[in-house]
Amino acid sequence: MNEYISNPDEAKEYWSRYRLFYGVIIFTFIIFLLRLWFLQIVSGTELREFSEKNRIKQNKILAPRGLMLDREGKVLVENLPGFEAVISPQYIESIEELSKSLSPILNMEPDKIVSRIQKSKKQNGPFAQIRLKENLSRDEVFRLKRIRLDTPGLEIRESILRAYPLKENGAQLFGYVGEISKRQIPRLNELYKGQWKFEQGDIIGKSGLEEAIESDIRGVDGISFTQVDAHGRETVTQTPNVYGEQIQDQEPTHGNNAVLTIDRDIQVAADVAMRKLERIGALVAMKSNGEILAWLNTPSFDPNEFAAGPPSPQVWSKLINDPFKPFRNKVIQDFTAPGSTFKPLMAVAALQEKVITPTTIIAAPGMMMFGRRPYHDSIRGGHGNITVYEAIERSSNIFFYKMGIALGIDKMFNYISPFGIGQKSGVELNREVAGTMPSADWKKQAIGEEWQPGENLSTAIGQGFVTATPLQMAIAYNTIATEGKVVKPFVVRKIIDQDGKILREQFPQVVRDLTEEQKTGIKVSPSTFKVVKEAMRRVANGDRGTARFWQIPGVQMAGKTGTAQVMGFSADQIYAKCESRPMHLRHHGWYIAWAPADNPEITVAVLAEHSCHGNTGAAPIVRDVIQAYFQKYHPEVIAEALKKKAVKTSEAAVTTEGE
Amino acid sequence: MEMTGFHVEERTIFKRLDLNFILVILALNIIGLINLYSATHGPSSRDVAPLFLNQIVWLLAGWCIFFIVTLIDYAIVAKMALAIYVLNFSAIIYTTFFGKVALGAQRWIDFGFFRYQPSETMKLALIMLLAKILSTRSSFGRGMGFRELFIPLLILLVPFVFIVEQPDLGTAMMLASIGGSMILFSKVRKSILLSAVVIGMISVWGAWNFVLRDYQKNRVLTFISPENDPLRTGYNSIQSKIAVGSGKFFGKGFRKGTQSQLEFLPERHTDFIYSVLSEEHGFVGSITTAGLFCLLFVIIIRIAMNARDKFGALLCVGVLSYVFWHMFVNISMVIGLLPIVGVPLPLLSYGGSSMLTTMAGLGLISSVAFRRYLF
Repeated sequence: MNEYISNPDEAKEYWSRYRLFYGVIIFTFIIFLLRLWFLQIVSGTELREFSEKNRIKQNKILAPRGLMLDREGKVLVENLPGFEAVISPQYIESIEELSKSLSPILNMEPDKIVSRIQKSKKQNGPFAQIRLKENLSRDEVFRLKRIRLDTPGLEIRESILRAYPLKENGAQLFGYVGEISKRQIPRLNELYKGQWKFEQGDIIGKSGLEEAIESDIRGVDGISFTQVDAHGRETVTQTPNVYGEQIQDQEPTHGNNAVLTIDRDIQVAADVAMRKLERIGALVAMKSNGEILAWLNTPSFDPNEFAAGPPSPQVWSKLINDPFKPFRNKVIQDFTAPGSTFKPLMAVAALQEKVITPTTIIAAPGMMMFGRRPYHDSIRGGHGNITVYEAIERSSNIFFYKMGIALGIDKMFNYISPFGIGQKSGVELNREVAGTMPSADWKKQAIGEEWQPGENLSTAIGQGFVTATPLQMAIAYNTIATEGKVVKPFVVRKIIDQDGKILREQFPQVVRDLTEEQKTGIKVSPSTFKVVKEAMRRVANGDRGTARFWQIPGVQMAGKTGTAQVMGFSADQIYAKCESRPMHLRHHGWYIAWAPADNPEITVAVLAEHSCHGNTGAAPIVRDVIQAYFQKYHPEVIAEALKKKAVKTSEAAVTTEGE
Repeated sequence: MEMTGFHVEERTIFKRLDLNFILVILALNIIGLINLYSATHGPSSRDVAPLFLNQIVWLLAGWCIFFIVTLIDYAIVAKMALAIYVLNFSAIIYTTFFGKVALGAQRWIDFGFFRYQPSETMKLALIMLLAKILSTRSSFGRGMGFRELFIPLLILLVPFVFIVEQPDLGTAMMLASIGGSMILFSKVRKSILLSAVVIGMISVWGAWNFVLRDYQKNRVLTFISPENDPLRTGYNSIQSKIAVGSGKFFGKGFRKGTQSQLEFLPERHTDFIYSVLSEEHGFVGSITTAGLFCLLFVIIIRIAMNARDKFGALLCVGVLSYVFWHMFVNISMVIGLLPIVGVPLPLLSYGGSSMLTTMAGLGLISSVAFRRYLF
């Protein structure tokens, strides 16, 4: 210790060295001061906003979509309340534990939950919420609520389920809803620019009307604000200033309702009729002014299964792999040869072009030669010498081959395309196809070949290049029925808000009147239509009419059957039984008819695919639909006819007894 | 002291104590406690609430140590320095092989009631031994050469290597900074300094490629651009900056910091205690606290200047470096000037090891101050 006393000033040796320390301390203080100034004063407001964003979680409150109602206000598509389990990946603490505790409740494999979360995280980032399961049962909700607090990242949300009370019936018309895919977001944002802004997790219409009138029936989503901690848990109100500042939620706005032209009763009757015969195909029923009354396709799918998230892989693959395409809106997407249903249109052209008069008699033997090829009639022996009336009533091929030869393709085109064949009808639904009404020019452009004279014959009986959709055929027949009025078919009658105020309305519209001069230079006189109408009345009512077995008491129908060949057969097979072939090779049956025959109100087209015949395949369904229509709107007509018939039979019984 | 012939006045204990020094420490303690209460009493942080009481216990224990060390003549410390160093170093070797693993590193010896982290007290042991050795070197002339530097560097580098191996890069860097500051203070030859800089740069390159573990590299990378990966390594840095900045001028108020109360801030009662302070008390609170630290440093320098011998002065310089580097690195990382390294803020962060070590170190300074008068 003595050395310290002996040298009391030894520590002064360092005095000069402390200057550096002062320097460092002052420097540090200035650095901190500047940095804190920058963070807290310069960027303070911005960073305060960040901290608010941290603690205030914005939850989308999905707005209910508008309902779809039928023409009488009956519900076709509605909303039901439900619950869904939602995962916010950024709050998950242990993905394995989360999936393990969720797996028994949701009845999902833990691995699947993990992979779904990881996939979404990779694709959409950690902030995008994942709907793990929608439409939870009460039991599931209860059990999830119990584990919620110990499972950060899990949320149970109220949801709105889209419900389709008609189930499979009309599924392609009404469509279905689902979560927007990442690919669709930019596309839809472009399409609805300035009107809607789509985000991850939004529910949108995926097909049918749900998709086509999205902007009409879509609601405006609301936002709820909740304070959450770093684990995503909502925090309780304790200290007023931090926790109490309740920001007002933005309430969602219900989407507007769509009142359709559909008649739910007719729609149901159509479905029953189609199912009764287990038919694959399409049906459309239209009022003569273009209002669609019923629209369905079979086989179908249940859109309710899609409302609660994507269906199970089994259901999905079954639907996707079904050879008869349940998702296809066949009414506007299946274009096929109209077959004999094309003949009335040919008759209009032939009569108007004066190739024949109503009384011209044409020989229709069983077979004729054109060039070096034989052409056969619909029955082996032929139809004999017939006028246009018999030709349509009995569906003679030879008669119309001759019309085809006489008219040539360009005249056929000029007359028949104005009926709407080969053109989109403009109905509201997406993905409508145009079909084909060929012409010489068309063939040159599309195929690059000259028109062959033989092709006039196949076209004349609705085979060859000509194709049409059921809706196009309904419009074309409706044009004959109304003597020239080509209507624009439509499904959406009006859009009304929740108070019933009309926002948009659609009225029947005549696109063309064929009794006036058309662009193709033709004009059809009412008398021509009258002849064809009478011939078509005989199809349904005449002694040898191809559809005579399916009548409605008191109501006369007029129409035409047809068969579309799925594939050509060699001559020896022409009369072979269609039913003996495998299903997918059988012919399609057509029947399109309107009623009443003289004063049309309703036109129905049925394409019964692979049903072999138009009469047995399609006519009974058309009859049932038209009958349902008259039973609903003119029950007295049918009742009176039945009474008369009863009186007649009882009179007959009395006479028999008296003998 | 038994000297005669001068005017001798018997000084009381209170007059010998540096009261300014003690007051500044107390002020920081109080700020620390207020802040820690807020950090441990969030709406859903029941699990950390008892830590506040623990900290009060540590603080009281810390003051006891402070006064005990104050009353011990630090000349005794000089005598014991080597023994303390060797003992502490053995403890480090023990942890390397038998220590508790925490966060992937072996750092603790569990005493049941207390988890002892020898690398923390190693800092003090190093300060004492270095002070003893360096006090025998002269700071006049060109400074220390290789021969004089050999032993100081050796006692610095050996524990350094072991702590890096644990791996606890933060503590190791602290150790190096403290020892380095003391050695530099004692003057080193310019040529050696220059070559040290060159070697340092080469070794940084070497460390990056061969020594640093991935998580350590990530911390540095995240620091350079934290926004790249906001939810993993960059999360802490971003949330801390948000917390500090969102405090604005006056802060959000006591227990009203949403970043800390709602747990967006990680490690808010330990490494990120300063962000809690900045968020709730704003620019005013954070700059006051930084200012108090600077005031404390100035007082320590004054005590060092008035020390009665070189060993005392070097002790002060060592403890000053200890507090300074911790405070500098901690605040810098919290306000986004340095990458995230697990370094606590002395006197404010929760933690027994840190609190006891700091208070013991400050006790050494107090002891130097206590004996600043010859008589």
